[in-house]
Parts: sequence; C-alpha cells; structure tokens
Amino acid sequence: MAKRSLALQLDEAVQAMLVSLRPRPEEAPGRELVPLMRVAQVLRDLPREEFRAALKSDLQRRTSMNEGTAAASGAGAAGPARAVHYQRPGLTSITPYIIVRGGAQLIEFLKTAFGGVEQMRMPTPDGLIMHAEVAIGNGAIELSDGSDAYPAAPTAIHLYVDDADATYDSAVQAGATSIYAPTDDHPSGDRQGAVKDQFGNHWYIAMIKGWTPGPEGLRSVQPYLHLREAHKMIPFLEAAFGAEAMGVHKSPEGAVLHGTIRIGNATLEIDEAHGEFQPMPCHLHVYVPDTDAVYAQALRAGATSIETPQDKPYGDRAAGVKDAFGNSWFIATYLGR
Amino acid sequence: MATRRPARKGSPQAADERGLVQAAQSDPAKFDALYELHFERVYAFLASRARDRATAEDLTSEVFQKALANLNRYEWRDVPFAAWLLRIAANSVIDHAKRSAREFPSPEDPPEPVADPYLQASELRAIEHRAQLFRLVGQLPEVQKQVVYERFVEQRSIREIAQRLGKTEGAIKQLQLRAVQNLRAQMEGGHG
Repeated sequence: MAKRSLALQLDEAVQAMLVSLRPRPEEAPGRELVPLMRVAQVLRDLPREEFRAALKSDLQRRTSMNEGTAAASGAGAAGPARAVHYQRPGLTSITPYIIVRGGAQLIEFLKTAFGGVEQMRMPTPDGLIMHAEVAIGNGAIELSDGSDAYPAAPTAIHLYVDDADATYDSAVQAGATSIYAPTDDHPSGDRQGAVKDQFGNHWYIAMIKGWTPGPEGLRSVQPYLHLREAHKMIPFLEAAFGAEAMGVHKSPEGAVLHGTIRIGNATLEIDEAHGEFQPMPCHLHVYVPDTDAVYAQALRAGATSIETPQDKPYGDRAAGVKDAFGNSWFIATYLGR
Repeated sequence: MATRRPARKGSPQAADERGLVQAAQSDPAKFDALYELHFERVYAFLASRARDRATAEDLTSEVFQKALANLNRYEWRDVPFAAWLLRIAANSVIDHAKRSAREFPSPEDPPEPVADPYLQASELRAIEHRAQLFRLVGQLPEVQKQVVYERFVEQRSIREIAQRLGKTEGAIKQLQLRAVQNLRAQMEGGHG
C-alpha cells in the first residue's frame, strides 16, 4: 500500500511540476518524495531523442559535404536541426487568441494595464491587425481584428501577477471596469480581483497566497471557460487533446465549481456558468505534437471542422475545430522557421 | 569568481579525449565521437539557461555547428574540450539574449549578462549531474524509458500514455515511480 501511495504522490507532484501549479495534496512533501522530485525536475529538461539524432545527422551531413566552416558565421547561419520542438518559441501549449474590434487599442490596453510586451504585429493592408502577440509574464495573448468570418469574441482570462492590487488599479486606470475589487476571501484562497475591459474581455487578476509555485513560476495567462454543463467539457478535452483533469471540484449536484485542465505544459480552467460569468465562446491556440492526429481525435470527440490540417506559410501545420460549446480551437504544430 | 579547471594531462580520460579531438581535427567525419561524448553536457547547460525547449534546441545546434566549424582553432593547452564547448555555449546564451533584446526591446529587460564565459565550479558540477542523469535514462528498461519520455518530454497525460502502451493508469504511475527511483539509486551509486 505504501508503495502505491508513493506512486500516486509522485505523480501528483509531477503533474503540478509540469505546469508549475499548486501540488495536491498541499501538505509538505514526504521525506521519500523530496529526492524523487529532484530527479523529476531534471527530467523535465530531458532532451528529445529525435532532436539528438537529427542534430547528429545534420553535423554528419555538414562534414560529408565539407561545409563545416560555412556554419561559422553567426547564429543566423546555424539553422536548427530539422526535428524541431512542436511548440513555437515563446508560446506554451495553450494561448488565448482574442478576436477583437480595435486590435491596436487592445494591445495598448495590455501594455498599460498588465505590462504586456508586444512581440509581433502583422498589419493588414488597411491598417488593421492580422495577427499580433503580446507577452504577459511568462505567458502570451494572441489577437487579431475581427472579420466577417471571425467576429469579435471576448475571452475570460485568469492572470497571475506579482501584485493583484496594483495590477487591478492599473487595469481600471487603463479603462477597464471593476467586476470586484481584490479580496482575500476568494474561494481559490488566492488574493483576487476582476475587471472587464472595454472590449468585453474578463480579467481575473490573482496573486498566489500561502503556496509556492514550481521553479519556473506560475503560468501567468490561463484561459477561463464558463460553460453550461461544464462537466461535459472534460471528456471532450481528454479525448481530443489528451488533456488531464488536475483538480475538479463539484457541487453536491454535480456542477463543476472549478476545474483545472492540463494540455501539454499549460492549463486552462473551467466552471459552470453562473451570475455574471456566462459562456463567452472564444478562440484558443493549442500547440500539439501532431496536428493531424489531434484534429482527427477532436472530430471523433464531437467537434466540427473549421479548417482541415494544412502547412501554413508561417511555418506551422495547423487546423481548426469548433467544440460543442462554440469555442474554436486552432490546433498547431510548429515545423520550424 | 570564475573558475578555470586545469586539464588533467596525465589522466587516461584526458588522453582519450585528446585523441578524439586530434582525430576529428584531421578528419571532421570523426566529430561524431565528440558529439556523442558531450551532447548531454551542452544540452544540460543550455536547457538550464533557455526559456523554452525550442530555444535550448536551437542553441545546442548552434554550439555544435560552431564547434565543428572552429575545431581547428581549438588547441589542447589548459582547457579541456568540454570547457571549450561550454564556453561556446555560454557565449551563445549571451548572444541570444542580445539578439532577443534587439528584436523585442523592452524597458523591463534585465541588464545584459556579463560576458563571462568561464563557469563557476558549482555550476559545472550541476551540469555534470544533469548530463549524467540524461545519459542514465538511456539505460533504463525499455518500458520505463518510454514512460519517462512520454511523461516528461512529450508531457502526455497518464491516461494517454496508458492508452498508447496498452496498460492501466496505475501501471504507468508505478513505472514512472520505478524509473525515477532507479535513476535516483544510480545517481547515488557513484555514477554521478
């Protein structure tokens, strides 16, 4: 029994470590667990076998073509080995993709309110935003101006910051309206406040209290889906994305009060829509190892196709599906630059 | 306080490595052997410095390509080959930080790192420890190795791994535990 218990304890700690979330159970790790977690933390950086082999082949090719010296002219010339990691650098497994009217203004709001850093902006010929990325903490928001095909879709986002009160204040000063002021009485146990920006997005601004995230820090940006019959979302995400429910709290009647779901190295949160927090069907950008496989799994799990898998000119293989709740999932695999 | 580690000129290991370097200098096709010897070490260092896996991989590619291109400039004096590689790696990290700062300037960017490519002894020990652990994964029983890669590298859920390997979720958790316990035992058994 003790052995089995250690296997469970280790797995819970590993799950929490992979996304730097609060470990469950929350008590201090046992004496047996601590040295095992030191090993697990190193394993998180374990190199991919495919990468090791691809780089070896690349070096062999260079030597056989006698072009080794050609690679000396700086990083730009040093093309990566072809077996690239499936996530685009700078993005995690899940990134909210906000479709908005007034993309440029949203970027300014993200900078002013949350200290966002603009990483990319691709304008359309008529001056709108085709695609932009803004880093916030260790996460990111992607956004673009809406179109007939993709109308504006406000999104709810759980934002972990260093100082919830200061961030809440700067969001309000930047034009957001308060949903509730930061409080220590939030059911999560964290200090949390909430605002709605001028584009209709909800921002749940939280600061951890009484627990310590993993060594990489907490994910700063987590999409938060308010759903009707939220419990049905969990099996969909498991079947479509190989997602993992990391903690689902239900009411005695079975309604999801709060659930954290992991996909790859990121999480999203769900709950049963209530009060002011009604469904906001949104767009999510998900990086997976195999777009074609996940697209097929998502359709089998009940999603409908928006776009079949295709190689994109910007270096991703990408597809799109819509779930039964109306959320759009842009599935992507980074193929390299 | 930077630390230089003097070459152990008399040790058989140093002599072997010197032979490998000389062989690769006269025939670049033999660079393979140096790559096999040092891949984990270089990757362990870069993974600890890079913000994500893709960057660690890009920088690792860059380091070995530079090392191959500049192999003839390496002279076996007081710097072991591993230290030479790690110096290239440290410089690549600094260059990468500068490139990123130029590409995406931010008032919150930390000051540029001091260009000190000599690593602290404690950091070298940590790199060796991590590299050794990476190598030991390759010696795990096949199914344990598979679970480690699926869980930690691909970051798949226990349920997904169970489905892929045709086992129960409980069995996968046990395999994960055994793999981690094995690695810990081997690290403590004097292989580290």
